[in-house]
Parts: sequence; C-alpha cells; structure tokens
Amino acid sequence: MYAVLMILMLLIPAGAGIAEACMKRASKTAQDALLVSALAAETLLYALLLFLPVNSSFLLFSMTDVLTIKFRMDGFSILFLALVTVGFLLSGIFATAYMDHSGNRSSFYAFLLFSQFALVGMDNAANLITMYMFFEMATLLSIPLVLHDRTPEAIGASMKYLFYSIAGALLGLLFIFVASRYSDTLDFTRGGSLNLSAVSGHETLLLVVSLLGIVGFGAKAGMYPLHGWLPDAHPVAPAPASAVLSGVITKAGVLAILRLIYFVVGPDFLRGTWVQTVLLSLALLTVFMGSMMAYRQDVLKKRLAYSSVSQISYVLTGLFLLTDQGVQGGLLQILFHACVKICLFLCAGSIIFHSGKTRVSELLGIGKTMPVTLWSFTIASLSLIGIPPAAGFISKWYLAEGALESGLPVMNWLVPVILLISALLTAAYLLPVTIRGFFPGKDYAVSGERSDGIPEFWLPLVILAAMSLLLGIFGGTVTEWAASLASLVL
Amino acid sequence: MSFASFNFPLFSIILALVCSAVSSVLRRKAARILSLCLCLTVAVLSFTLCSVCVRMGGRMDFLMGHYPHPWGNELRFGPLEPFFAGMFSLIMLLSILGGEQQLLRDLPMQRQNYYYVMTDLILVSILALCYSNDLFTGYVFIEICTISSCGILMIREIDRTTLASVRYMIFSLIGSGLFLLGLILLYGITGHLLMPNLLDSVRSVWASGGYRLPLLSSAALITIGLGVKSGLFPFHYWMPDTYGAATASSSAILSGLVSKGYIFFLIKIVHRVFGVEMFYASGIANILFVLGLAGMVVGSVYAMREENIFRMIAFSSAAQIGYIYMGIGISPQLGITACMFHMLAHAVTKPMLFLSAAQLQSCTGKRTVKELRGSARKHPLAGAVFIVGSLSMIGFPATMGFVCKYYFAVAAFAASAGRMIPALIILALSTCLNAVYFGRSIISVLTPGTDADLRRVRVRDNVPFAVSGIMLSALNLLWGLNPKFLYNLIDLGRELL
Amino acid sequence: MARLLYLICIFLPLLSGTAILIFRFRSARALKILTVACICAASAAAFAVLSADIRETVVFLPFSRTLSIVFRLDGAGRFFLGIVAALWPMTALYACSYMDGSSHLPLFFGFFCISYGITAGIALAGNLFTMYVFYELLTLSTVPLVIHPLTRDAIRAAKIYFVYCMGGAALGFASMLFLLSNGAGGMFVPGGTLSSHPYGTDITCLFYLLGFLGFGVKAAIFPLYAWLPEVSVAPTPVTALLHAVAVVKAGAFAVMRLTYNSYGTALLSGTWAQYTVMMLSAFTIFFGASRAVKAIHFKRRLVYSTVANLSYILFAFSLMTPAGQQAGLLHMAAHACTKILAFFCAGAVLHFNGLTMIGELEGIGKKMPVTFACFTCAALSLTGIPPFTGFVSKWHILTAAAGLGSVYAYIGTAFLLAGALLSAVYMFTVVLHAWFPGSGFSGLSVEHVREADWRMLLPMILLAAGTLLCGVFSGPIVSAAAAAAGM
Repeated sequence: MYAVLMILMLLIPAGAGIAEACMKRASKTAQDALLVSALAAETLLYALLLFLPVNSSFLLFSMTDVLTIKFRMDGFSILFLALVTVGFLLSGIFATAYMDHSGNRSSFYAFLLFSQFALVGMDNAANLITMYMFFEMATLLSIPLVLHDRTPEAIGASMKYLFYSIAGALLGLLFIFVASRYSDTLDFTRGGSLNLSAVSGHETLLLVVSLLGIVGFGAKAGMYPLHGWLPDAHPVAPAPASAVLSGVITKAGVLAILRLIYFVVGPDFLRGTWVQTVLLSLALLTVFMGSMMAYRQDVLKKRLAYSSVSQISYVLTGLFLLTDQGVQGGLLQILFHACVKICLFLCAGSIIFHSGKTRVSELLGIGKTMPVTLWSFTIASLSLIGIPPAAGFISKWYLAEGALESGLPVMNWLVPVILLISALLTAAYLLPVTIRGFFPGKDYAVSGERSDGIPEFWLPLVILAAMSLLLGIFGGTVTEWAASLASLVL
Repeated sequence: MSFASFNFPLFSIILALVCSAVSSVLRRKAARILSLCLCLTVAVLSFTLCSVCVRMGGRMDFLMGHYPHPWGNELRFGPLEPFFAGMFSLIMLLSILGGEQQLLRDLPMQRQNYYYVMTDLILVSILALCYSNDLFTGYVFIEICTISSCGILMIREIDRTTLASVRYMIFSLIGSGLFLLGLILLYGITGHLLMPNLLDSVRSVWASGGYRLPLLSSAALITIGLGVKSGLFPFHYWMPDTYGAATASSSAILSGLVSKGYIFFLIKIVHRVFGVEMFYASGIANILFVLGLAGMVVGSVYAMREENIFRMIAFSSAAQIGYIYMGIGISPQLGITACMFHMLAHAVTKPMLFLSAAQLQSCTGKRTVKELRGSARKHPLAGAVFIVGSLSMIGFPATMGFVCKYYFAVAAFAASAGRMIPALIILALSTCLNAVYFGRSIISVLTPGTDADLRRVRVRDNVPFAVSGIMLSALNLLWGLNPKFLYNLIDLGRELL
Repeated sequence: MARLLYLICIFLPLLSGTAILIFRFRSARALKILTVACICAASAAAFAVLSADIRETVVFLPFSRTLSIVFRLDGAGRFFLGIVAALWPMTALYACSYMDGSSHLPLFFGFFCISYGITAGIALAGNLFTMYVFYELLTLSTVPLVIHPLTRDAIRAAKIYFVYCMGGAALGFASMLFLLSNGAGGMFVPGGTLSSHPYGTDITCLFYLLGFLGFGVKAAIFPLYAWLPEVSVAPTPVTALLHAVAVVKAGAFAVMRLTYNSYGTALLSGTWAQYTVMMLSAFTIFFGASRAVKAIHFKRRLVYSTVANLSYILFAFSLMTPAGQQAGLLHMAAHACTKILAFFCAGAVLHFNGLTMIGELEGIGKKMPVTFACFTCAALSLTGIPPFTGFVSKWHILTAAAGLGSVYAYIGTAFLLAGALLSAVYMFTVVLHAWFPGSGFSGLSVEHVREADWRMLLPMILLAAGTLLCGVFSGPIVSAAAAAAGM
C-alpha cells in the first residue's frame, strides 16, 4: 500500500512535469489546469498517506549490495511532506496568475513539478544513498527555476547555486562514504546507525567528517559558510519560485542535516564535542548575520532572502542543541517558517506584479492600494518576529528553552541572546514595510485604485497568513506532535 | 677435410685484388658485372667457410708463405670472421646493386669503372681486416681502405663532395696516425707484430706490473684511432657531410661496411692483442661506454634538427655507432655479442635507408623531409623499404632493431648497477629521440602529397633496387623475428676469438 | 576451439581492414556496410568467447622462452574485451554518418578495423611481451586515423602523438626488460611474477615508475598528457573511440597489468613508487578538470575531462588492493560509456552544424533535443549523480581509497572530490546554456541548426540508456569486476 502510494506520489509530479514540458503550445487554461490538478492530487495523496502506519517502507531497486534505493515514511517525512505538498500547491495557484508577467510558463510549471518530485523522494528516503540521489536531483531540477528569466544576473546566480550546491553535496558524499564504512547499514536508524565499536579510535575522523557533511548539506539551507548563493538565487527567480525555494527547498538541506545528526551519527556522538560548539557558532553567526544583512537591503526580495538565511539557521540552532525542546523548537520553526516565508514572498510577488515596485523605499502607501496583501504581509511578519499569538512565537520560545536546558557552557545563554537580537532586527526590517505601507504620511497622494488582483493572487496569501495565526493560537496539537517527534530521536 | 685446407680467405683477398686491377681497364658495364660477381663469389665462399668452422667447432689457422709464426704472416679465424666477411660482401653487393641508378646519374661516364676499382679495393681491405692475425698487415689495409673510401667519395665531382672527402681524409688520417703511434709503442714494448705473440707478451708485461703506462697509452691510442675512423663521439663530425653528399651506393658502403670493418678489427684487437681482462680492467672500456652513451644522445639530437634526409640518416649513423661502443663498454661477454649483433643489424639497415631515400629523392627531385611528403605513394617499394628501415631504427618489434635493443638491455641487466641504469635510461631516451625524427619521416613520406602527378614508379623500372631493397628488408625482418640462430652463432664466434 | 575464437577476435578485423585498404570499392556505401558487418562479426565472436568462459592459453608465436606471443583471457581481460566489443560497433555506425563527404574513406575504415583487431589483441594478451607488441602496433594503426583530415594541424598532431607514444613505449620497454630478466617468464599472473627485489627495493621501484610513466603516456598522466588535446583535431569517431576508449583505456589497462600481474602489488605497496604514482594521478585529476573548466572549445573540454577521468582509473589502480583494481575496472567501463556518448554529441553538433565552440551552443537544445538529452545523461553520469553508472564507479573508488587508510589516500580522495565538483561545473554549464539560453537569445543563431540523423542518434540513445541502466542494474558489472580482481 505504501509502495503504491509512494510511487504515485513520485509519478504524478514527474509525469505532470513531462506533460507540461511538452505542452508549450497549449492554451494557458490547459497548462494551469494541469499544474493545479497535479499539485492538488499530490496533496490528496499526502492526506491518504497520513492514514498509513508509520514506518512503512519499501525497496525500489538496488544498484549494488550496499547502494540501494529505499523509501520509508516516518514522522519527519510527514512533517516535511506537509510543506512540500501544501506549500507547492499554494505557490502553484499563485503562479498561475503570476506567470502572465513572464513568458514560458510551461517550462516553469514543468520544473516546479520536477522539484516537487525530487523533494517528495528525498523526504521519504530511507537511507543515505536515496537521500543523496534526490538531494542532487533537487538541486539540478530547481536550477531552471532560478534561471527562468534568463537575464545575465539570473544565469550568474544559477551557476553560483549549482556550484555551491554540488560542492556541498560532495562534502555530504564524503560524509556518507566515511559513515558507510563505520556503520553496518546505510539505512536511517534512530539514535544513529554507527557501529560504535568500529568507531572507537577513529572518533576524530568521524567528527571532522560529520562537520564537513553538515556544512555541505547546510549549503542548501543557507548556513554559513556556504550561504553565498542564496541571496543571489532566491530574489532573481520569479516570485512563486522564490517562495518555494525559500520555503521548501531549503528545508531539504535541513532534512539532510537532521537525518545526518539524528539518524546516522546519533546525537550522543556529537553532544558536548567541539563539533557541536562549532556548529552552534556557525548557526548563530548565520542567524545574526542574516538579520543584519536583511536590514541593510532595499530590494524587498533580497531582504526576504537574507531573512531566510537567518531564519533557517534558527532551525539549525535548534537541531544542533541536541535537546528535546531545542529539537521541538526547530521542527516547529520549520513548519512555521515555511508557512510564513512562502506568504511573504508571494506578497512581494503580488506587489511586483501589480505595481512593478521592487524596493522597500518605493512601497510607501502600498497598503492603500493593496490592503489584503499588506495585511497578510503584516500577520506573517508578526510570526516571523515572534510576537504572540502568532505561531513564530511558540517555536522561538522552545528554541530558547532548549538552549537553556542544554547545559552547554556558553551556548545556553548566548543562544537566547542572539535570538532576541535577531528578533529585534527582524522587526526592524519587516515592520517598516507595514508601517510605511499603511501610514504613508500626509504628503502621500493615493495613486491607483484598490486592487489586490484576482483571487489566485490573494487567496493563497490569506490562507497562509491565517494559518500562521491559527497555528499559533490553536497550535497545541502541532506542538505536542513536534514534542513527540523530538523525544523519538533523543 | 681437403676442402677446408684450401685457403679461402687468401683466395678471396687475392681475387678481389685481381678484379680491382682488371676493372681499371674494363668498360663500365663489364666492370660492374665483374664487381658484382666478385662480391657474390666472396660471399658464397665465406659462408661456406663459416659453416665448416661451425661444424668443426674450432678455429682454423693458415700460414702465409711457408714460415710459421713468429716470423711469417698468418690468418686465423673461427666461425665469426668468415660470417662477417660474407655479410660484408653481401651488403656490398646489394649496395652496389641498389645504387645503380644514382651511380649512372652522379658519375661521369668515363670514370664509372674506377668506381668499381675502388669498391673492390674496399672489399679487399675489409676482408683482410676480418681475417688477418697481424697488426701491421691490419694497418696497411686500414690505409688502403681509407684511400679507397675517399676515392668513392670524391669520384662524384661536386663541391660538396670534394670538401667532404677532404674532411674525411683528414679525420681518417688522424685516426690512422694515432693507430700507428699505438702500434709503434706496442712494438717497442713487446717486439712483436703477430697477434698471438703480442697477446702473450702483453699478458706477461701486464702481470709483471712494469710498463703499465706505455701499455695503457698504446691501447688508448689504438682504440681512439679506430674510434675516430669509425665515428665515435666526438669524432663523428665528418659523417653528415660525407654521407649526405655522396652518391647512394657510397653512403651505403661507407656507413654499412667501412665503419663496421674498423670496429670489428678493434674487437679482434681487444681479444687477441690486449686480452679482455686487461682491456676491461684498464678503464678504457668505461671511456668507450661513456662516449658511446653520449654519441647515442648527441647523434639523435642533431638528427632531429636536420632537414636534409641524407644528413639526418648520417647523424643517425653517429648515434648507432654510439650504441655499438656502448655495447663494447658494457661487458665483454653479453655486451660484445650484443654489439656485434647490432653491427650486423646496422650494416643491413643503413644501406637500406640510404638506398631507399635516394630512390625517393630521385622520383620527386627533393631532398628535405618536408618536401618528400607523399613520396612513398609515388615509389611504393622504396617507401616500404624506407619504412621498414626506419621502424628498425626506432626499435619496433619484429625488426632487427628491436632485438638489438633487447639484447643490449639484457647485457645491461647482467652488468653492475653503475652501468645498468645509465645504459637503460639512455637506451630509452635514444629510442624516444629516434622516434621523433624517423617517425616524422615516416609520416611525411606516407601522407598523401599535394603533388598532382600521381605517376607511380613501378618495380620493373628499377629492378636492381627492387632486388636489393627487398633482400635487405627480408634479412632485417627475418633476423628480427628469428634472431636466435644468429645470436648463437655470434656468441660462439666471440668465444673462439 | 578456443584458439580459433581468439584468432577470429583479433584477425577478422585485421584482415578485413587490410582488405579494405587494398581493394577498390565501387561505392562508399558498400565500404561502410562491409565495415559495419565485419566489426559486428568480430564483436559477436568476442561475446561468444566471453560467454563461453574460455580460459585457455594459446601460444601463437614462440620466439624464445621469454619472448612469445601468447593469448589468454583472464577476468580483467574479459572486462576490457567486453567494453571494446560493445562500443566498437556503435562507433562504426556513428562513423558511417560522420564520414559522409570525407575523402580517403578506405584509408579511414581500413585502419579503423585494424585498430579493433589490435585492441582485442591487447585485451587478450597473456604476457607482457604480447601486450607490448600490440601496444606499439596500436600506435601505428591509429596514426593514420589521426592524420586523416590531412590538414596542417592533423599532421602536426599525428607527429606529436607518434613521438609521445613511442617514447612511452621505450620506457615501457625498459621496465619490461627488467621483469623479463628477473621475473618468472613474463606471463600475467595474479599477484605478479616478481618474487623479490633483485637489486633492492629502490631499483625495482625505479623500473616500475618508468613502466608506469611509459604506459601511462597513453593514459595521459601528467606531464605526458599533451598529445591528447592535440589529437582532438581528428574526426570525432576517432576521438571518441580511440582517444576516449581504445587507446587511453589500453594505456590504463596496461598500467593495471604492469601493477597487478607483472610486478605484483605485494612488492610495490607501501613503497615510494606507490605514493609517487598515487599523487601523480591525483594531481592529474585536478589538473585535467581545471583545464576542462577553462576550455572554450567543446571537444577540448571533453578531452581534458578524459585526462582527469583517466587519472581516476589510474588512482584506483595505484591503490594496489583488490578493491582498487575492482574500482578501476568499474570506472573504465563507466567512463568509456559516458565519454564516448559525450563525444558523439559533440561530433553531431560539429558535423551537422559546424559549431565547435561552447559559446556557440547557446540555446541549441531546442533544435537538437535528442542529442542534448543524451548529453545531459552523459553529464549526470560524469558528475557522479546516482543512479547513473558514474556514481557507482566513483563510490567504489572512494571505498577502495578509504580501505587503504594511508594519508596519501585521503589526499587523493580530496582531489577526487574536487575533480567531481569541477566536472559538475564544466559539464553543467554546457547543459544549461544549451537548454536555457540567455535573455538576449533571439533564436537566429540556431535557425539553421538541424538534428543528427538516425545513424548517429541510435548509438547515442543506446549509450544514454546504458549509462542509466548500468547504474541502476549495476550488480552484474560490479561482481564481474570483483571476480576480475580476485575478490
């Protein structure tokens, strides 16, 4: 049953993507319909998947005895799949309207679907090889999204993306390869699959390699030092693609790191070591630096991109803390950030589409002409800053708690401090948009009538904003679920 | 065996002398035919003698006149000397045969018969050098050889050849002079001129420890003298001009026979006058080794820079002579056997190269490698012969050149490490260098040229060359694929030296 | 029976090639059909030999005790023969299309067949001397193929190629002589024929190094790689097959024979010779890959990529363990398949549209979709993305390197990964430019571009499918390589 569902979940986006690529000359309606129906079908299948017992798995094929392609569904897969299905669906709906702006919609839709295919595969990977394979595919299949506008900046950004991602993946491969020598199996095992007796004596090697692997996979997640591609690639893509890139595809990197730490190496192996300190330092540095750089950006999409860099490292901080609440906070942050960032990027996209304005300084009085959009933007911002009752508050609370309970010498107070500073900075770079949008000042003359565009534009925004609020208010189930997942691995 | 009691060697020598004298009055065609028959006869006789010796398994001595040594003159040989004599006469036959077209073109009509006088004299001297057991006789025939060699050079009367032959004469006379000096020194020390007596004397003098320096000097002078005449580095100067300007048969004879004759005589001297132990202990062998190595490299380096194909082949000769001297220097057993094998290989291959290059030149009218492009398509047989010769020089398997390198390497491995490593490295290096210029030539003659004239030279246009070229190539490939017989023969002969 | 089959594998192509050279053909079509038929027949014979699992030794020409022409098929030889027999017919079909409109066709196809026979001889060689002889013959038979265009560049390239190969053979000769003088006869024996160091470790190491460099010339080890970029002026079927598969793989194969079956890894591992060889191949990986990134000429880029990938194979062999041998053999197969596909694509672009520079390939994917889809497969396999076959072979190389455990192995691994990164860069920039041209692209520059014909497309599609399927179903190949390595 699982096998069937899984294969369908892989085939539908892949098939739809191929169909879209062949449908260059078809009508707009046909292309849109195919996209939305494929994405909706995917979401439906996901809903069905929820009824299956956890830990169902099946083997697709084996390349050699050691290298096998296997799928398995566990709690984390469900979490990430939620982002992949729902996030893509809402971005897809937005895209049907947005893509009137740029040409070549069928190619765009095709690669959107292909990226979803790669991510679905990756989320359900049961071992390192499968995960690596789909990770690489995700990189390659999302490059055309970045490349879409074909401007020189876009081409340069996609080359950068390619280079950083492949470099990171190769570091990851190094890790996979060394780990395979010290484990009995490449499959993901709770608590780590390392054969500890084989490891003894070689701890340093494994620590170094784990660090390299995490840094490598962290390239996708925008962690310092391999974050350099993100601020160039995300803004240059069309808005729906930026949303998906920031909101979902970066989470692939997070998932890889998660699997690496909790299912291959094992948290106990890393806890208290210098590696943990280094990782936490890198994550915190990214958090701080991302927020700083976001504050200084004028171009809205670039500001949001740097914001992603920062926010995703919140997740990584949580994961690196290796405590229950830290992990819980991280997982919640994944969910909430995806929700919020997609919303923010789609807002930015809507603004660009309707008014052609890309810079924050130009957005004076935008609230008058596009109120729904800006309201959604505001609510999402609240969540991002971490103001209750928006959802973001909960995740950041758990992160801080996790840090305090971790018992690490410096980090237990440094983490909350940095989180606080970052929250202030987030407010500083997000709230002005809202304020200036709604309260432009006396000199402002309203230009243009009120229009948020067709429903495809504002409906996804509203849904996402509402979700970020509701998850915060009625988020008990989600929080508990995250807690159970965290305790599963610790 | 009554057959064997007939003094074949002396007979051959006298026959050649007579033919040479007679040729001076004959007309061109008759002189040529006489010369060819002479070579053939000598070859047949020598090979017969060789097989007799092999069957007998020992040496044979002939007295000249009726006086036994140490007063009279003597001829001595095992299976090796007649074999080499036979080979030399065979090569001479084929060289003269193959170069006929060039001879007709290069020499004035009334002088043609003198050419055969000279070649017959060269044959006389080479035979004498092969068979003689007496140092002074050897010297006399060395001089005769020198003069006749200059003769076959100068007979082509253009400025270049005159200059080249003068240079050749100067070098040769210097060499002969050094040889004579050494000879006189030796005579002064030992009082003998016949080789067996000399050997005894030298041994006893060496063992007693006195007269070391004069003895060494004499050995050095004789060696250097013969080295200068045969083209050892750094005395190879005269080679490119000489071979490059002469008519094809002359180049073939000079490079294929004359230099080999001198080296063969040197080897005989090493074994029968100074004795192997003394020669190798004295360090002269080391000098030869080093000079040989240097020659291998330098010769090839200069060859790479040559445009003119004949000069290129001539420099290649300098390199090949280097191989031979390296072989002498490596060791007295395996090294000398390998070097003699190489002498034969070179004697077969170099005439092949010169003759075929001359044919290629005559069908296109050009003499530089670049301009000879595509000439193999015009004259397929010459092209094929040239390619076989070049491949043999490079050392391609199935040719004699490869087997020579193999034997040199085997000899090197049996020697001490101090000799082995330089020998092998230089062997490899010189193969690379040979590959450069010979490879270039092969590719050049094979690539289709831009010349629209596609008229091919057919075999029957030049039958003598065809016979000569095919026979030489056949010998090369035959001994390249099946060297065992030859190698064993040489080895046996060397032991009986 | 074995004797007959061996001889067919080698002599059928040799004789048919000679026949093509000698006899006058009425039409080019007849010539091409004959060529393809002969090559297919020879491949069929080769596959018959492989499937019948013949392991006999056939002494063909005994010259002396140590020097004789002997044929024998062991595991590694089977592997190489399989690669050669599979890829040659496809190239023949491709060449039929490519050589349309060229002159001197009999010359080309004649030597094409002859080279097949000689490469089969290298695979079937049972001792070092046989392999050496056929190795030299391969140089001779491929020079006319390089020189075929008869331009100044081609002639120059042929000369450089000839000199490098002969030089390499000379070094190899010295090394071979060392073995023949001191070993037990020169036959290829697993574990090597040298039982001890006859003159001390250093001398043995020196001669092994000479042999490695000598045979490594054909495998384009630094600094003796320079002939390979020059030779890229040859017609693409030649570059593809000979300089991506036959000649260069023969070089790597010869190095393997030298290391594992002649000198023997027991004597060589742990010596300075091994470390030198490892570091040299690791450096070449990086060097080749970085030159490829800088190359702006399409075929040259692929040629430098070949230089880098050959050193992956040499690095694996230099590890001197059975795992290393297995990994090297696997990468030989994977790379042969992949690189020949890449060259076919480049050749199709060159032949039908006259485009040679990478800058000219902007947006060409629309007009040559099948070709560039196949090229994308090649790019994926070359970079080492699962489930393509390139990933499986790289994985095995890494495994073997880690199995060695020494610091040189780790340095080598670092170079390997850097090389993989660079290969992603140089291959994917081409792929992306081809499929996603820049915004200034008007379509005019590729208006006259047309797709290749079926004779080129069929081999390309087969090979592309091969790179995927051999990766997905790599079990049989991996176990064949393991058996060849004696694991």
